[in-house]
Amino acid sequence: MLSQFRGRLTDPKPLSIGVLGVGNIGMVHLKSALAMPGVEVLAAADAVPENRDRAERAGVDRTYDDYAALLAAEDLDAAVVALPPFLHAEAVERAAEYGIDVFVEKPLARSTEEADRMLEIAERAGIAVGVDHTLRYQPDMVGVKSAYEDGGVGHVPYASIIRLNDGPLGRPPADTAPPSWPLDPNAVGGGSLLELGVHCFDVLEWLFGELEVRDATMGRTLEIPVEDAATVLLRAPETGTTITLHCGSYQWEELPEVNTRLRLEGITGTITNRDHLPKNFYADAARAALENVASRVGGEPTVFGPTFYLRAHYDALADFCEAIRANEEPPVSGLDGRRSLALAETAYDLAAETVAEDVEVPEVRP
Amino acid sequence: MSSAYLAAVGEDDSRGGWRPTVDARMVRLESAVEAVLEPHRARLAGADRVTIAPDVHYPFHPSTGVVTDPAVVGAVAAWLDRELGTDLVVVGRSDDRIAFDRTASYLGYDRLAERFDAALVDLADVPTRNEYRAVDGRSVALSVPKPLVESPVIVVPSLRPTEEGTAAGAVRTLGRLVTSGADSSRASVAATQMIDPDLAVLDGTVAYGDDPVATNLLLSGSAPAVDAVATSLLGRDVDADVALSPLLSDGERPVAVENPDGVDLSGVRERLTGGRLPPSDDTHPAVSSAYRLYAAASGDAVPPQLEGR
Repeated sequence: MLSQFRGRLTDPKPLSIGVLGVGNIGMVHLKSALAMPGVEVLAAADAVPENRDRAERAGVDRTYDDYAALLAAEDLDAAVVALPPFLHAEAVERAAEYGIDVFVEKPLARSTEEADRMLEIAERAGIAVGVDHTLRYQPDMVGVKSAYEDGGVGHVPYASIIRLNDGPLGRPPADTAPPSWPLDPNAVGGGSLLELGVHCFDVLEWLFGELEVRDATMGRTLEIPVEDAATVLLRAPETGTTITLHCGSYQWEELPEVNTRLRLEGITGTITNRDHLPKNFYADAARAALENVASRVGGEPTVFGPTFYLRAHYDALADFCEAIRANEEPPVSGLDGRRSLALAETAYDLAAETVAEDVEVPEVRP
Repeated sequence: MSSAYLAAVGEDDSRGGWRPTVDARMVRLESAVEAVLEPHRARLAGADRVTIAPDVHYPFHPSTGVVTDPAVVGAVAAWLDRELGTDLVVVGRSDDRIAFDRTASYLGYDRLAERFDAALVDLADVPTRNEYRAVDGRSVALSVPKPLVESPVIVVPSLRPTEEGTAAGAVRTLGRLVTSGADSSRASVAATQMIDPDLAVLDGTVAYGDDPVATNLLLSGSAPAVDAVATSLLGRDVDADVALSPLLSDGERPVAVENPDGVDLSGVRERLTGGRLPPSDDTHPAVSSAYRLYAAASGDAVPPQLEGR
């Protein structure tokens, strides 16, 4: 599904974009922007020469080895910040100096403290901040929300969400060098909860309203510096729903299979995202491809048509661009990104308390 | 005829499943390690130092069987420390994917090393000895790290296939620790000839076929003998393995397996035969080509994952 706003792009002047960081997710954003009507990608930046080469092969005219140099040299309306998290705040600050709006990869920052500084600078400079929380753009999540709002299962006292992948260490065969920064707490701010859990928090608040964290536990399956498993107990007061969230970077992933599961247990039945996914990924991809080929005659193609999870990234960026063009708040704003970070921080605090507390063994009396 | 010694692990356990703490797994391994090391006591006795070479090629979780379980190394180290009082060295080698110290740390070897006062040595950073060995009538030049030729070596491979489909084995575990211009199979043969490991202990606690399988066994013997059994358990042909067949002379075949615990080897073989590692993350070239053709026809973008690096 494309952005609902895409068809209304009438401004003759394209939105000029720069992409800061063109590693894995940065390349997805770059390709999305290159394919987006009404958007012109002026330049990309990355410290890694191979990434710059890939960006040039993808069709970007100019590349920089330093994102700050790009921001200083190019006349941008907006920048996509797909750098490692330890550079987000600095990149937003630099963009703010030039009045450039930013679309920031998640997590927005390494902490709420850092996010607050970032958002304060953005507000002072009058720039918009959007965050790439994409679960809510996936067709399966949209299907769950629609079914829930239709009241199809009545009251939902309990929901669960699971998001698992294989993280930076991947799975066999080991054929690439894993980056070290995703496992460095100073660089990222945390582990799986900041990598995957923030997406889950975002989609849960989108469904149920503001959440409260009641308890949490963190785990490590290897002796790594950050958690690769997190389990959080939540409560949504507005809907009276208790929720468990589990995310982890310990499970081997074999695309196109993606282990994201959302279940809403209602009075009359269950809503699950699996019911809103294609039964056969390849058959659905082929159908989407055929539709796109057919649309060539009379319209724009659905970008990343056969791959719904990449399409979600496209739609998130397209919605951000449309908001910038309309001078509106981005649909997933910096405050939304901060909100997910705050929930993660509360979970970390509660998990640390549980570990630190001496569990008193109750006296057993006859 | 060569011999190998087989022991069952954790027979007394009433409940299966992975134990996350190394200590708990070491306790479970103690009697099996004793059973497979005791027959080789004379070979190791009197050594001032023993070098242990596990399969630590990448920090995959040991419950998958794709690397050696550090608890097996710990149980072997505990036996050597207790019975022979030798100094211990655990070795691995950095490669272009990941540094050994990072792999060792993620797998928990730092704590093990501290516990047994053992040294963790990255063989990419130590002096080497350059030699030549003949493999199939052709000379192979090797640079072998000195720790592998200056003290008795115990190689501790995992029970799994390689990406190419052969058994990973002791011979290939040693082959990864040397540098050579020869192809990896011939380098592995030459490395095994030069290092002449005193013992191989196969970690078959968890094996990998198409999935992890709790096979709950340990096997000890010479490197070629242990690899011959592992190759058979994975349903491969020893004669077709160019890194193994040159090391198994007619006089060493068949390998006799002492199996006092009555481990059901045919059952293990049945579960592992034909197993392979998961396919590479790289998309099949046919899918990439078809997608590019579709993208050209429709005007859609090609996902970066389908373009390669």
